[in-house]
Amino acid sequence: MLHIKPILSSLLRSKSGPILLLIQIILSVAIVANASFIIQERLALMQRDSGIKESEVLTFSLFNFDPLIDKTAQNKIDQQILRGLPNVIDATSTNMLPLSGGGWSSTLKLGPDPDSTKSTPQFAMYLGTDHTIETLGLKLIEGRNFYPHELKDSLDSPSRLAIISSVLAKAIWPDESALGKVLYEGKDAQITVIGVVEKLQGAWIDSSSLENSVIQNVDYGSSSYMVRAKSEFHAELKDAIKKALLAENPNRVLDGFKSIEALKDSSYRDHKLMITVLTMMVVLLLLITSLGLTGMVMFNIQRRTKQIGTRRALGAKKRNIISYFLVENYLICLAGGVLGGLLAIQLGQQLMKIYSLPMLELSYPLFTVAGLFIVTTLAVYLPARKAANISPATATRSV
Amino acid sequence: MLSMKNVSKVFKTDLVETHALRDFNLEVNEGEFVAVTGPSGSGKTTFLNIAGLLEGFTHGDYFLDGINVSNLSDNKSATIRNEKIGFIFQGFNLIPDLNLAENIEVPLRYRGFNAKERQRRVQEALEQVGLASRLKHLPTQLSGGQQQRVAIARALAGEPRFLLADEPTGNLDSLMARQVMELLENINQAGTTIIMVTHDPELARRAQRNIQIVDGQVCDFTMYHQGYRHVSDINAATDIDKLVANADR
Ligand SMILES: Nc1ncnc2c1ncn2[C@@H]1O[C@H](COP(=O)(O)OP(=O)(O)OP(=O)(O)O)[C@@H](O)[C@H]1O
Ligand SMILES: [Mg+2]
Repeated sequence: MLHIKPILSSLLRSKSGPILLLIQIILSVAIVANASFIIQERLALMQRDSGIKESEVLTFSLFNFDPLIDKTAQNKIDQQILRGLPNVIDATSTNMLPLSGGGWSSTLKLGPDPDSTKSTPQFAMYLGTDHTIETLGLKLIEGRNFYPHELKDSLDSPSRLAIISSVLAKAIWPDESALGKVLYEGKDAQITVIGVVEKLQGAWIDSSSLENSVIQNVDYGSSSYMVRAKSEFHAELKDAIKKALLAENPNRVLDGFKSIEALKDSSYRDHKLMITVLTMMVVLLLLITSLGLTGMVMFNIQRRTKQIGTRRALGAKKRNIISYFLVENYLICLAGGVLGGLLAIQLGQQLMKIYSLPMLELSYPLFTVAGLFIVTTLAVYLPARKAANISPATATRSV
Repeated sequence: MLSMKNVSKVFKTDLVETHALRDFNLEVNEGEFVAVTGPSGSGKTTFLNIAGLLEGFTHGDYFLDGINVSNLSDNKSATIRNEKIGFIFQGFNLIPDLNLAENIEVPLRYRGFNAKERQRRVQEALEQVGLASRLKHLPTQLSGGQQQRVAIARALAGEPRFLLADEPTGNLDSLMARQVMELLENINQAGTTIIMVTHDPELARRAQRNIQIVDGQVCDFTMYHQGYRHVSDINAATDIDKLVANADR
């Protein structure tokens, strides 16, 4: 017994008030639905598994100024020293740091003829050692790690080995194992896949090929190192690294001690800002909408005091009065929800075109409308209960 | 039908206590047409509100249709108002956003009648007040007298045992007032008990029985004869002694 018809016709006859609220609700639904979709998208991006023990890996840069040293030999000694430090699980040299926003990317050919054969998708090109997998905490799911004797000192070597991420393996060889397959770097170099890791992200979080990675067996002792230890040891480890490596050779500078977690954090800073701003916007819009609803209900109660008293005199129970206001505002919300939902989809399509966002999932407008009904109930119920307490005697007492 | 024994009503505000009714005693029989008069502020509306279960009272007993209604729950009073009592107000109290049919439907919906039953009763009630053709009009499209007739139709549609009217002609000119009065007389003749508060001595005289309320108490003259001459004096009076003196003469 909700008596929708007279409430609806009464609403339609008193145009101006509900129209403004309706517009507010339409806009709120359209914006909130898209904003929460974008928030969800960004959160999902941030929650992608990099395959790396991000918090345990401490990275730093090492710059040698000693003109007399043999860089290749020094690189090997330095890694030995790092691995020998207390609490260190493993350590390796690297050419690039994962999730840092900077690094090497490349493609390779699937056959020896550079003109006629297909290329691999773009991938992040890590140069590493037999310690890279353990240092990053990667999971080898097929094949094997490099052996120490297989390590090359530079990219000049014409036959090299690779451990690749499973996403890349699937992309190149969807139906076969990647093990033993050969990739070609022009005519000169061949790279044989010997292992597949479950996951390894590259350096650029917004790249569509973030999951495509290749590690080659090149101990590239230029300047970057990664050391793995439980994060609670990082502070003392930083000191220990500096002390040990400077003791080895004082003509060098060590810099940029950061965990991969910290690198990732700064890479995702814009996303986080976006999430914060959009969340605030959603909360604000819901708040304004609920204030608008409460305000209109209170205004209507004031305006209809005598009418409410009359209804009570004519036999309305308190719950009839409460449900009157609830139904009235549910009707406004329903209209606002449907129109707002359509506008949300429209807005989503524009955003998709202009900012190349993914298409708005329909569940978002639906959830927004559902949320709107909860907000409406909360915003309307309390003032409506006050309305229900208007005395029936108001019918005769007020003028 | 209606029986009040020693009913009193005190309004308390921070500053003052107003004794709106004091030891109020009244019996109204089935089928009577009672006119209630009295000076402004004497407690007429208070009496009518209590009689119609629109507000509670402080002391005493009140039986309506044999039921003790002194301590009813809010829902139960609403049900009794809805089923047994019809209200007519000075200001008509039609709902401005609803058309006439919808206005008359309001109490019928609370009663849970289905659409067909509601439609039948709306039609019948509007015919009774001579406005059957105005079903879809809004209240503002009618004259005051017509609006009051719609309000009466709304009260009648529930087929109440009892009609309570607080100055139903107070906002109407004398011609319209007479039409409304005739309508009420017809309704009373059909068997409905009516209690009507009025300031108009001429209308009061047309009722079967006149009650004076002065200072929250009843002076029940129980006049069934038409020749009573003092009603107009009584209305002007504010002094109980003067009233009694008039009655004695
Ligand atoms: N809600 C209230 N709070 C306090 N006092 C009230 C309230 N309602 C009525 N009164 C007082 O109770 C007394 C009786 O009022 P009531 O409205 O019954 O008089 P009335 O006979 O209907 O007057 P009128 O002819 O002007 O309509 C008055 O003194 C009035 O001021
Ligand atoms: Mg009054």
